[in-house]
Parts: sequence; structure tokens; C-alpha cells
Amino acid sequence: MANQTPAVVMDNGTGFSKLGFAGNDSPSFVFPTAIATKGPTAGASGSGSGRPAVANKPSFLTGGAGPTGHLSMKRGTEDLDFFIGDEAISAASGPGYGLHYPIRHGQVENWDHMERFWSNSIFKYLRVEPEDHHFLLTEPPLNPPENRENTAEIFFESFNCAGLYIAVQAVLALAASWTSSKVTDRSLTGTVIDSGDGVTHVIPVAEGYVIGSSIKSIPIAGRDITYFVQSLLRDRGEPDSSLKTAQEIKEEYCYVSPDIVNEFAKYDRDRSRFMKHVVAQPGGRQVTVDVGYERFLAPEIFFNPEIYSSDFLTPLPVVVDGVIQSSPIDVRRGLYKNIVLSGGSTLYKDFGRRLQRDIKQLVDARIRQSEVRSGGAKSGGLEVQVITHKRQRHGPWFGGSLLGQTPEFRSYCHTKAEYQEYGPGIVRRFALLGGPGGS
Amino acid sequence: MLLLDYQNVLIQSVLTERFSGAPPVSIDQTVSDFDGVTFHISTPEAKTRIMVSLQIRCFQELLRYGAEDVLNREYGPYVVAPEPGYDFSIVVDLENLPADKEARDELVKKISLLKRNAMAGPFEQAYQEHYHLKAEAAKFTSEEAPQGVREGGAVKAIHYREEEAIYVKASHDRVTVIFSTIFREETDRVFGKVFIQEFVDARRRAIQNAPQVLFRNDPPLELQGVPGVKNTGTGEIGYVTFVLFPRHLTPQRMPDVISHIQTFRDYFHYHIKASKAYIHSRMRRRTADFLQVLRRARPDNEEKERKTASGRTFKVGS
Amino acid sequence: MSQSLRPYLQAVRSSLTAALCLSNFASQTAERHNVPEVEARTSPEVLLTPLTIARNENERVLIEPSINSIRISIKIKQADEIEHILVHKFTRFLTQRAESFFILRRKPIKGYDISFLITNFHTEEMLKHKLVDFIIQFMEEVDKEISEMKLFLNARARFVAESFLTPFD
Repeated sequence: MANQTPAVVMDNGTGFSKLGFAGNDSPSFVFPTAIATKGPTAGASGSGSGRPAVANKPSFLTGGAGPTGHLSMKRGTEDLDFFIGDEAISAASGPGYGLHYPIRHGQVENWDHMERFWSNSIFKYLRVEPEDHHFLLTEPPLNPPENRENTAEIFFESFNCAGLYIAVQAVLALAASWTSSKVTDRSLTGTVIDSGDGVTHVIPVAEGYVIGSSIKSIPIAGRDITYFVQSLLRDRGEPDSSLKTAQEIKEEYCYVSPDIVNEFAKYDRDRSRFMKHVVAQPGGRQVTVDVGYERFLAPEIFFNPEIYSSDFLTPLPVVVDGVIQSSPIDVRRGLYKNIVLSGGSTLYKDFGRRLQRDIKQLVDARIRQSEVRSGGAKSGGLEVQVITHKRQRHGPWFGGSLLGQTPEFRSYCHTKAEYQEYGPGIVRRFALLGGPGGS
Repeated sequence: MLLLDYQNVLIQSVLTERFSGAPPVSIDQTVSDFDGVTFHISTPEAKTRIMVSLQIRCFQELLRYGAEDVLNREYGPYVVAPEPGYDFSIVVDLENLPADKEARDELVKKISLLKRNAMAGPFEQAYQEHYHLKAEAAKFTSEEAPQGVREGGAVKAIHYREEEAIYVKASHDRVTVIFSTIFREETDRVFGKVFIQEFVDARRRAIQNAPQVLFRNDPPLELQGVPGVKNTGTGEIGYVTFVLFPRHLTPQRMPDVISHIQTFRDYFHYHIKASKAYIHSRMRRRTADFLQVLRRARPDNEEKERKTASGRTFKVGS
Repeated sequence: MSQSLRPYLQAVRSSLTAALCLSNFASQTAERHNVPEVEARTSPEVLLTPLTIARNENERVLIEPSINSIRISIKIKQADEIEHILVHKFTRFLTQRAESFFILRRKPIKGYDISFLITNFHTEEMLKHKLVDFIIQFMEEVDKEISEMKLFLNARARFVAESFLTPFD
């Protein structure tokens, strides 16, 4: 077993990519899923240098470029001239490069860019020979199978990777929660609340399979909380109300309160709850920003969206309850019992506790009603449990790392030989990793 | 990205962060590098003592060819007994770092080159042998040189991958580095051939001072009689020979040349894969073009607007 | 366009246009089935004589007409190993996407690189001459694409080799 290479786990999300090796407790690299390529110089004549390139057509392929285009192409190395991740962002701020995000809404939009992004992730950052390693990739729920096939095509044909497994993020997030002491049976049934930067998803999973028809998404996530903090800072006229400061305050001071009215009262009684945040501005100056009610108000927009948004008014607990109620009746008990948090915007202190209490209230109210209606029958009650654990931030990645290091992982992968035998269609089905029959 | 880095980016970034004075945390990370090399960064005793361990499949061979000297020279004060399951370990104490920033960066750089330094042993030894043989050979004219001097040193074989190896051989006027390469896949084999051909031709065409590159499918003369070298005759295994001439062998250039030549295999494979990626994007584009042409074959009769008697409009789809 | 290519393509065009004379025809062997006869090969009387147009030994087109369907198979020029691999890669890439190509056959006929199957249903909903245009354009572009990819590969290899060897200089 000495020369068993660790599996590579890659979780490419809309905003950030998490890369690392199975068995580690945190990803080795976390950087934006961004790629900076040479801007359009040949195709679009005289376009502004700051303008990003046309997304779908790399400049070297723009048809009808004429004979000159072909001449320059012969020596063409444009496809090697690009940066990914943080380097891409800094390169794009200079001239000559355009920034692209190959993943939109969780799904790969631009395969050319994605292929190069992967190539650079593997060779520059992870430094592995893909022929020696198995790969575990993630995909969002409801990813079309064609996307899987395209992914497989790239990984097997371009990279010759030894083996490939593609798992659904929500399922991995469930697996990640096994590290929590509250979880006793390693089941793959549960509700995943995945809140990243752009959007929050509530995804019911039964026995490792996503119940696609019941997924709900909420347009409130990390970015909105940052904006909300920023608007509060602006209203108060703080000396620094940049987005960066707002984000720092959000990450450092915010928590979820059980009840905002009480919390306001507590703040007024006890001035020590107001904090000061020191911002080092460029040029060496330091500014102090007061941090006040936004400490508990900001995450509150999950529970009382009306304080922030005027279009979306359903609180998160109601959405979760609705999702579970719309799922098949025989799995609902399992879904209530195992509500798993995942993603950076679920890290606020007491977020899970508040969510559990609110959902419990909804459930209990419904049980009481039906008891009344049934005329005297007693319900055995329903267990609601929200699971908070240490690996929440990179939940899907950690779940992948956990499953990727199991000895049976390799037998679940599809290998290059199988791919060549059956074609890309083979990746439409994967045996369920960590499911019944496994471990 | 054109050339590959010599150092391990992850070790570099982890250590840079730790050395910058951030509060100590416990680390436990397994990190991979090319050629099945595994690193383990951990803090087994205290949060301030970072241990970096290396596992490399050909370590015994490397030791035989003087890797220990190189490693001791580079990491002298930091070397500790290897962690179980690994071949070589060093420990850095965060409370005992070099004072100025430059020395710290230097240390980070050095540690992130751990794999490179471990592999450098045989090369350095070959360099030394070459110097020695050169001095010997200078005493004779070419005809009367004794057998040993003319033949050069023994071949050092490093089986750095399961099926591939590097062979290094020194002689009085050159150092020969031979990579055996193997291709599992037909496409890669063909692409590889094109690439190798250009390596062979490059010297003739553009870069006169580059090392001479030779390629053949059967073991070259230098490797005759070396155990483990088989002539399969299937053409699956290829031998790429780099001949380093005295101008590459000066002591000043030694570190760079050694670092660079080590990356050959991975560089080579990386570029084969990058060209496949490019060809894929061409094919995607071409396929989209074909589809467009085919779509033109469909008569466009959709989107006809019709009116009812009452004046309401509706559309008739195709 | 080289001297011999034009008549070659012209010959393919004319033969194809003539062959694309399809009508609906229900299977004679299985009740209520309607299958492309050229594939089923159950009724020899509805199959027409197949026809090969060859430009040289490496490039040829096989047209197999029948009453309700026609099969066109193309052998793409492959001068050497590199072109062979590139053709193989490209045709596989295309057949992988056969779903959206309607008339593309998932598997080429033995001895050819890529096959198309056009049935009367295709000619009913698509314009016949445009379909012919498509085949002709495909033949033209494939050759061009293969040679461009080969050029690219050589150029890239040279560039890569030189970049690796330059630091030694």
C-alpha cells in the first residue's frame, strides 16, 4: 500500500474551487474559479483593452480570421498563456488579459476554459501526474448528464486520469457531517442547506439520491449579507464602508441571535457589546469603525428576509419545512432528523440552533393542528435536528476527502479502460459511495 | 504556463504563511508531487515545530548515489530521523527561525525544493565524477588513455517511477542522462513521438549550445549490461538521451541544469496534455460549425404570425 | 482547392443528389415497422447498387442507396500516423455528439472513418440540396482541419522543445 497515491479531490464551485488530496482535513488550495486569458486582439479589431473577451470563442479560433490569422496561429501559444485563481484576478487587473468564470450557477458553461483551468490546477498547483491518481470531482444537483460526459471526456482523453468519480455536492456535504458527534448512523438521508456566496440551496437527499423535484433555492447568501452590512455602515456614516471592510466585519463579529427585540435591549443595556473594528487603509492610515447591531442583524436576513429584500420574503426555516413537506412522505422523518449545514454563510454562531428551534416550532404547530383535527389522537412527535460541524465551510470538499480515502473508493471509480470500452455514457451512473453496501 | 516550477507550490505557500508570524496552528496535510512523491507536513509535537517528510519510491537508490550528502548539505541542522512510512524528514522550529526576512524566504524555498534536492544526488555525483575523469584524461592523449578513463563511470539507475527510470552516466567529456519513457496510450505515443522529434531537431536548427538529444526505441549503448534494462522490441518503451557537454557542466551552472533536467518527463507529459486540450477546443469549435451548417438544411418556417377573425394574433411553431 | 479535389467533390455531389431520391417505405418483413432498408438488408429488391467514388487509395466515398434510406461513408485522408490519430480523435468526438447531428451514424462502416445515414424522414423535413451541401462542406473542412491540427502539433512541439532547451544555452 506504500505507493498508493492519494486521490485528488476537486470541488469546482461557481465562486471558488477547492482542490486537495483525499485524507486531508482541509483543501490544499482554495482560489476563485477564474481564468484570465489574452484578450481578443485578432478577432475584434480595436476593442477596448479592458473589455473581457467573448466567452465562447477563444481568439485563436475565431472563424474567418483569414490567412493572417492562420499564420499567427502556427506558432500559436496563446492557449498556454493564461492564469487561474488568484493570479488570474491580478493578471486581469492589468492590460491584455480578460477574466472569465467558466462555471455559472454551479454548472460548467465554457468547456475550453474549464479544460485549461483543470490542466493548470493539476500541473501547476497540485503537481500530480494525472495518470497516477484517481480523481473525485463534484457536481451540483440536477447537473445534466451531458455535462458529466463532457467532464469524463476531458479527464480521460486529455489527462488520461487513472480513475474518475463524480459525486453530487449535497451528498458529499452529508458525508462530511459524519464527523459531527451528533451523527450516530452514517446515513445518506438528510436535508442539506448549502449557502455559498451567490445563492442558498435547500436540497433533500434520500439514500444518497437527490430528490430533484423538491430542491428550493433562496436568493439570499453571503454576498447579500455583506451588502447589508455595508448599507448599515453607510447609514451610520462610518469612515470606511467599503465592501472589504463589510466582509471583514461580517466574518469576524456576526452571530445569530435568538430574538432580535431582546437583543436590541441587551445592546442598549450593555455598551460592551458594541465593538470597534480597525481598518488599515492603503497609505498606512488606520481608521476605526464602530460595529453595532449589524452583528446580529446581518445573519438575521435569513430568518426575516423583509429587513433586507423586498422581493423575497420567505424565511429560511419556512423554506426548509416546505422542501421536506414536498418530499415523499416516507423519507420526511429522516430529512427532519438530519438537516446538515454546508458552505461559508452557515458558519455564524448559533445559526444551527436558531434554525433548529424555528423549524421545530413550525413542525410542532402542524402536529398540534392535526391532533386537534383528528379529535384526540396523540402524535409521537417528530425529531428535528440541525447538524453543525467543524468542516462546514468546505463541506462538499471534506466529504469528498473522507470518501476518497476509503479503501473501496478506487473500486467505485470508472477507469480509463472502462471508459474506452463503453464510451462516455458510462459516467451517467456511479455506484453510490458510502451508501448501503459500502463501508 | 510554459515551464513547470521546480518547487512544490503548496509547501511553499504553507511555510510562507507559517513563517510570516501568523499564530501557530496544528497542521496535518498529505501533499503529492509528480512521480508519486508524497510529502507530509505535520506538527506532531508542538504547533511551533513543523515537520516535513518526504516519501519517494527510489530513495534507496538515491542514497546509494550520494543523496544523503546533498540532503545533509541543504538541510543539515533541520534533519531528523525519518517519520515512519517516510524516507526523509526535517523539522523546523518556528520559534527558532532566521531573523531577517530574506533568510526565511530562502529557507522556505529550500524546503519546497525537497524533492528536487533528493533527486539531485546522482546528478551531483555524476558531475563530480566528470570533473575527476576530466582531470585524469587531461594527463593522457586520447589514444593511450587507460580503459577506465575512456569508458567513464558506472551507470546510475534511478527507478523513479514504476516503469520508468533515469540513467546517469559520467565520462571525461560529457554527462549522459537517459530517460526511459513509456506510453500507455496510442494518442500519447504518437504525440510524444512528434514532440521528441522536435527535441532532437531543436539543437540542429535553433539552439546550437543545447545538450544533444537522442531518441531510440531500443536501449542505447550506454545501458548495455545494466540490470533491469530490457529490450522489449515492441516500441512501447523509448529512451531519450540528453548529452550534457562541458559547457553545461561548469560548477556555476550545475544547480540550474540539475533542476531543469529533472522536470523533463513531467514537462513533456504536461505539454502533450496541453496540446490535447487545445485540439479539443478546436474540435468543439469545428463541431459547432458543422452543426450550424446542418441546421441550415432545415427550412425555417417557424414563427409565422397569424391573425384570427377577431384580430388576435398567435404564432404557429414549426 | 487542388486540381483533383474539385472533380472529386463534384462527382460526390452529383451522385449524392441523384441518390437522395427517397420515399416512405414500410418494412416488408416486419409488420408495422418502418426501418432504413439499407441498414436492415432484409429485402434485396429495394437495395440499389452501391457506388464508390475514389480520389486515390486513401480517400474515397461509399454511397449505398436504397428505397427509403441512403448511407454515405467517408474515408478521410491519412498520410501518416499523426493524421491517423487525429482523424480517429476527431471522428470519435463527432460521433460522441451524434445525437445533435441527426444524420450521423454512431459507428462508421468497416473500412471507413465516418458514416452518415439519411432516411426519407430526414429528407422530408430538411432541404435535400442543403443536406448535400453539408456533406460536401464536411468533406472539405475535415481535410483542412486535420492538416491544421497537424501543423499546430508540429509547431507546438517545436516551441515546447526549444523552450525546454533554451535554459541550457
